Amino acid sequence: MKTPNPFGACGVTRRQFLTQTGMGFTGVALGAMLFKDGVLRANDAPAFTPPNGQPQFTPRAKSVIWIFLIGGLSHLESFDVKPELNKYAGKLIEDTPHKGVVNDTLIKQNLPNIDTQKRDVYKKIMALNTGYRTHGQSGLVVSDWFPHLGSCADDLAVVRSFWTIDNNHGAQLTFHTGRNVREGAHPTIGSWVTYGLGSLTDNLPEFVVIGEPSADCCGGVWTHGAAYLGPQYSGVRLNTDPSKPLAFIKPADPTMTPEEQEHNFSLLGKLNRLSGIDYPDDEFLRARIKSYELAFQMQTAIPDTLGLQKESEATKKMYGLDQKETETFGQQCLVARRMVERGVRFIQLFHGGIGSAGAWDSHRDIKANHSRLARNVDQPIAALIKDLKQRGLLDDTLVVIGTEFGRTPGADFNEGAMGTGRDHHPHGFTCVLAGGGTKGGIVHGATDELGFHAVENRHYVTDLHATVLHQMGLDPRKLQYPGRQRLDVDYGEVIRGILA
Amino acid sequence: MPASHRKIILPLALLGAFLAFAFVASATPANRVAFVKHYDRFLPKSLANCTTCHLPSDKKNPESLEEFPHNPFGDRLRKLGEEAGKAGKKLDIPHRLAEIAKEDSDGDGVDNETELLLGHNPGNAKDSPSKKELADGKKKIAEWTKALASYRWLPFETVKRPPVPAIRHSSFVIRNPIDSFIAAEHQARKLTPRPEASKEVLLRRVYLDLIGLSPTPEQMSAFLADKSADAYEKAVDHLLDSPRYGERWARHWMDVWRYSDWTGYQNIPRDSKPHIWRWRDWIIESLNADKGYDRMLLEMLAADELAPTDESALRATGFLVRNFNSLSRERWLENTIGHTFQAFQGVTMNCAKCHDHMYDPISQREYYEVRSIFEGHQVRTDRVPGQVDTDKTGDGLVRIYDATLAPKTYVLARGDERKPLTNEVMQPNVPRIFGAKYEAKPVTLPLLAVRPDKRDFVVKDDLAAAEHSLADAREFLADLKEGTSTNSAKPLTGKAATRAKAAAAKLPPALKPLPTAKTVAEGERNVALAEARVNSFKTTLAAEKLETKKNSPEWKKAAEEAVVAQRKAAVLEAKLTLEEAEVATKVAQAKADKDAQGGDKGITAKSATALTTAKKTLTTAEKAMAKADKDLTAPVTTAYAPNKFEAFPPTSTGRRLALAQWFASKDNPLTARVAVNHIWAHHFGRGLVPTLNEFGRNGQPPSHPQLLDWLAAEFMARDWKMKDIHRLIVTSSTYRMASTPDAASAKLDRDNVYLWRMNSRRMEAEAVRDNVLHVSGSLDLAMGGPDIDNKLGLTSKRRSVYLRIAPEKEVEFIKIFDGPNPVECYSRPVTVMPHQALAMANSELTFTQADVLAETLTAKSGNDDAKFITAAYERVLARKPTKEEAKLCADFLKQQIAKPAKRPGAPGTAGILPASSTTTNAAAMSKPSAPAEAINTRASRPRSDAQRARENLVMVLFNHNDFVTIR
Repeated sequence: MKTPNPFGACGVTRRQFLTQTGMGFTGVALGAMLFKDGVLRANDAPAFTPPNGQPQFTPRAKSVIWIFLIGGLSHLESFDVKPELNKYAGKLIEDTPHKGVVNDTLIKQNLPNIDTQKRDVYKKIMALNTGYRTHGQSGLVVSDWFPHLGSCADDLAVVRSFWTIDNNHGAQLTFHTGRNVREGAHPTIGSWVTYGLGSLTDNLPEFVVIGEPSADCCGGVWTHGAAYLGPQYSGVRLNTDPSKPLAFIKPADPTMTPEEQEHNFSLLGKLNRLSGIDYPDDEFLRARIKSYELAFQMQTAIPDTLGLQKESEATKKMYGLDQKETETFGQQCLVARRMVERGVRFIQLFHGGIGSAGAWDSHRDIKANHSRLARNVDQPIAALIKDLKQRGLLDDTLVVIGTEFGRTPGADFNEGAMGTGRDHHPHGFTCVLAGGGTKGGIVHGATDELGFHAVENRHYVTDLHATVLHQMGLDPRKLQYPGRQRLDVDYGEVIRGILA
Repeated sequence: MPASHRKIILPLALLGAFLAFAFVASATPANRVAFVKHYDRFLPKSLANCTTCHLPSDKKNPESLEEFPHNPFGDRLRKLGEEAGKAGKKLDIPHRLAEIAKEDSDGDGVDNETELLLGHNPGNAKDSPSKKELADGKKKIAEWTKALASYRWLPFETVKRPPVPAIRHSSFVIRNPIDSFIAAEHQARKLTPRPEASKEVLLRRVYLDLIGLSPTPEQMSAFLADKSADAYEKAVDHLLDSPRYGERWARHWMDVWRYSDWTGYQNIPRDSKPHIWRWRDWIIESLNADKGYDRMLLEMLAADELAPTDESALRATGFLVRNFNSLSRERWLENTIGHTFQAFQGVTMNCAKCHDHMYDPISQREYYEVRSIFEGHQVRTDRVPGQVDTDKTGDGLVRIYDATLAPKTYVLARGDERKPLTNEVMQPNVPRIFGAKYEAKPVTLPLLAVRPDKRDFVVKDDLAAAEHSLADAREFLADLKEGTSTNSAKPLTGKAATRAKAAAAKLPPALKPLPTAKTVAEGERNVALAEARVNSFKTTLAAEKLETKKNSPEWKKAAEEAVVAQRKAAVLEAKLTLEEAEVATKVAQAKADKDAQGGDKGITAKSATALTTAKKTLTTAEKAMAKADKDLTAPVTTAYAPNKFEAFPPTSTGRRLALAQWFASKDNPLTARVAVNHIWAHHFGRGLVPTLNEFGRNGQPPSHPQLLDWLAAEFMARDWKMKDIHRLIVTSSTYRMASTPDAASAKLDRDNVYLWRMNSRRMEAEAVRDNVLHVSGSLDLAMGGPDIDNKLGLTSKRRSVYLRIAPEKEVEFIKIFDGPNPVECYSRPVTVMPHQALAMANSELTFTQADVLAETLTAKSGNDDAKFITAAYERVLARKPTKEEAKLCADFLKQQIAKPAKRPGAPGTAGILPASSTTTNAAAMSKPSAPAEAINTRASRPRSDAQRARENLVMVLFNHNDFVTIR
């Protein structure tokens, strides 16, 4: 087990190593031969240099833990609490002083497909389903469903002014690619990070997916895919449940020693490169070569990373491993920290993957539903932030808490919801960041007084991507892929207001 | 207007003319459909209704569209039609729309078409686009003009065969029309097609595509040696004739048709049904026989109506059986409708369950009309020869039938099953957008379909089973007498006993299990009982046979014999019941007495109730006994009770047959397009329409619309024969191109949408597993039969298509290579993950097969490493190694022999050939065995370091990128 490569300490990233030495176990420079020859043979001389695996400027963060709550967290009952909802509960929006908030122009602007996809705007205001209070020095207002995260208030940067372009759960994909689900697969933020930077470790995948991801309806594997960047940059799903260890993690033949297998894999790497000379643009071949290197290392690294027995009882308790409600997600958060320690670049942590729309989708009984789900995640995420901080890792680790959209200020009366829940709300919602060079205890942007539209410092989801890339030392506009035209909206704008 | 419509309209009309207006329009939408079709995706949603041509009615209670006057635009359209009519011509709506496109019907200064495209009413002068809208809309109008000028993709219009483009000055050999369409796009886009692939690459490609197995070295060298002009075509014919073709392509279609073995909770099927593998076998056999796709559709949806007694065809209805859901009929029907339409029509009907379809012109009402086609259908399991038990422990033919002739389907408000709109029963129909005439005629079913138990083999099997039971009882009695009884089976208790009892109740008396016997007396009782049962069954059968000659002396004699036998049997049955009741009462009494002493009121009351019940049962049994005794001495009559059998409705609604006939009709716009697109996708790795299950507006348009239409037309013209389409595709120059890159073309078409080269693809999961076994010579080519336990995935030698697959019953190895999701799998994602590397490098499947192959190759090549290396390459990768590769491999072998890795318990020996006999090892490897066993055999098997190195080399080749890749 290698110790994590200190940030750029030896000056050679894995990617450079790979291109220089041919990604081999033995360092035979066949890889370079492959790619040079391939390029020559194909007479392909594009004016393009792939990212060299180095940050383009001094980075603030080394790793990202990207927590995604599937189904749509109510911004109103988490980090963008609106007391006005209690005041006008039961009234129609147009019967309140805030009647101007239902702004059709903005709705049309947000949802380019409104022409074909209609969704009612529920106008009967629903009171908040939980209390709220201020926390910390910063006086951040957080709902009572999230007391533990409230206790981290002074480390949080809350952005209350996101909007998105899909009023259905395809927005889960949009949140990760910036594109509508109808546009198919596009590179996700995790894949851009790994494409731009490569890995800090040879032993674990650089882009890991934990938890049950979005279902096929809403992006499926695309929500952690790499699309045209090639499969080597897509997220690798890992099971953190110790009762279901990774399949085939050990050779079925117990007499196969690591040395013997390494010898085999070494030959394999050389042979793959040789026969790939005719196919220099084959991303699948590159991905497969890489997958074998990783697979070899993972045989020891995975049991080590997932083995929580070495963690102290106090740590386990902090993450809530001793309680049924927090055990699963607590374990996933703890594993995420261990991965950061071992040099994993991007950890995408899904919560609420239950097939279909996702657990957070609370059209009915939002009170019961959200309070239960908040109980599942609040303590573990807070523990993660505190634990990273006490270990001095929070400065280098950017934690992001996101969801595909917020929930309507009005009560949902669709399909048997009977006014007990809230509908999808793409026009204004909140994401929370911590660490990785963001300011603590700050609120950025705002929705109107009913929490309907993002009105101040509006941010499209790709602004979050730009911010993540910027903290990692990458300029999204300099991240290109040959033969691919990126749209302006894909790049996003860095949310400078929350940077330290 | 039908009265049923009027009933709704009248109260609605009171709410205002406009509401009623919308309703009437959707009731007669023929013109609207034409309108929507013409403008397709260019039509703004706000104009997809009747206000575009009509004004609100001035009548208080409008009853038909006639009462809604036209606006100037609508009026112009109508007049144009009338004028044409007067001239004896017919001018359809799209042509009329084209004719008045540049006119300005409402006189607001903007022409009709511009107004329409920009979302303004062309018949209302007050509704005109602003200057800004006109400026912004230029792009949309340009796109529309371009779309009009180019070949129009109209998936909801009947297929018309487009002309094949004439291609001049092409370096690309035009072998068939596919090449012409592809070359036309090459030329238009300045793409340079790649040259033909090498013979080795091509043969491996076509083998893997058509039969899913790579060519053997013998097949490869025969092909390379064949210098005739049609060597390749001959190879293709050979592959299409192979039974392996059906197995390969069955798996593709099983994805689309969502094959799943049953799954459930505590062994009770909840999802899909036991024995559904018969449908899988039907798919394989049908493909191999090149049954027309139209006929396959008909059989899958309605074999029970089309061929009610054809047991082979009935298997096909597994397509519908698969949707069985024991927990929710609602979900069952939803899946049936949704997946039937996605699979055969590429349309997402389910969107219309709760509301009108958001993208395609399908109304919610139409969804429920489709639902009524399926409302009455049910699943049953018919007997198969030699098997009395149709449950999951036995065998049977699981199939579809109509259980109800006039099922009631209602629209569900917002799709909520708790809110049916019961004022109107939906009549079966298909969505209007498809422009079909749907007409279902009830089908009268033959006797044997209605009463399947009357089939000869069922009667014979029942009799044999009864006699078998009697023989068992006799043998057991003999054992009891000799004191050698080995019957130690514990009686069932609790739920299991209840379930067994319920199962036995369904059986004819002759097949009921006998009670346990512990004493000679009980043994004698069982023999007597079994004899009486057999006798009663036989005599009744004899009497039933003579029923055609009722009242003849022979019949009378047989009937009387049956009555006597039945009465004798009844006495013994009654006696048994009485004995059991007596025992039960005693037990209940004892428990009641004991509990009464305990003093717990609840328990006492419970056991007292149990005692009362037991006593009641006893009284009933006593009465039955008395009656049976009395009957025995009564005068003999001819009134025997007929043998029990199951009976089903004598007619079927014919609704599914009508649906299937419409699907299978050449007028259906989508069936052929969707099918050939699937076929294309499996040959090229991408469909001409990339969204294989979505041809509606929410899908993506095709890259080559003419080619797809041409293929669809050709498919139908060739009687829907799939092998013809495969042959056309794989013999085209398009298919034969190399998959190597070209910088200039890549720059223009990075994703190879216009096929300037062949796509490299990764083998599907099943092909990876099959080929590990195949190249090692271990693949068991036995065909058909029950699903193989998924736990045997790594040890079974059968093809993967036969392995069990259902939610939570999957083979991990298959799953890791993006195997099919049994719930829904219209296309599979392709990933590259370290998990796949681990599965290939560490699984017992690859270890054991590497050993088998290394041994076979060593037997042929002896000590010659170079020979071994060449043979291994030829076998595993279907090519010879390059010089460089051969050298790397030779060095590898030498190094491993010189420096063997330390291995526990595996003594190395000098020389290549191991001390152990090669045959024993091969034999040990060829049978499926428990996982641990196979691996232990490997670990402890003595072989030389040299042989171990060779095994490692084969293992490396299994893991080679070229092994899993189709170039």
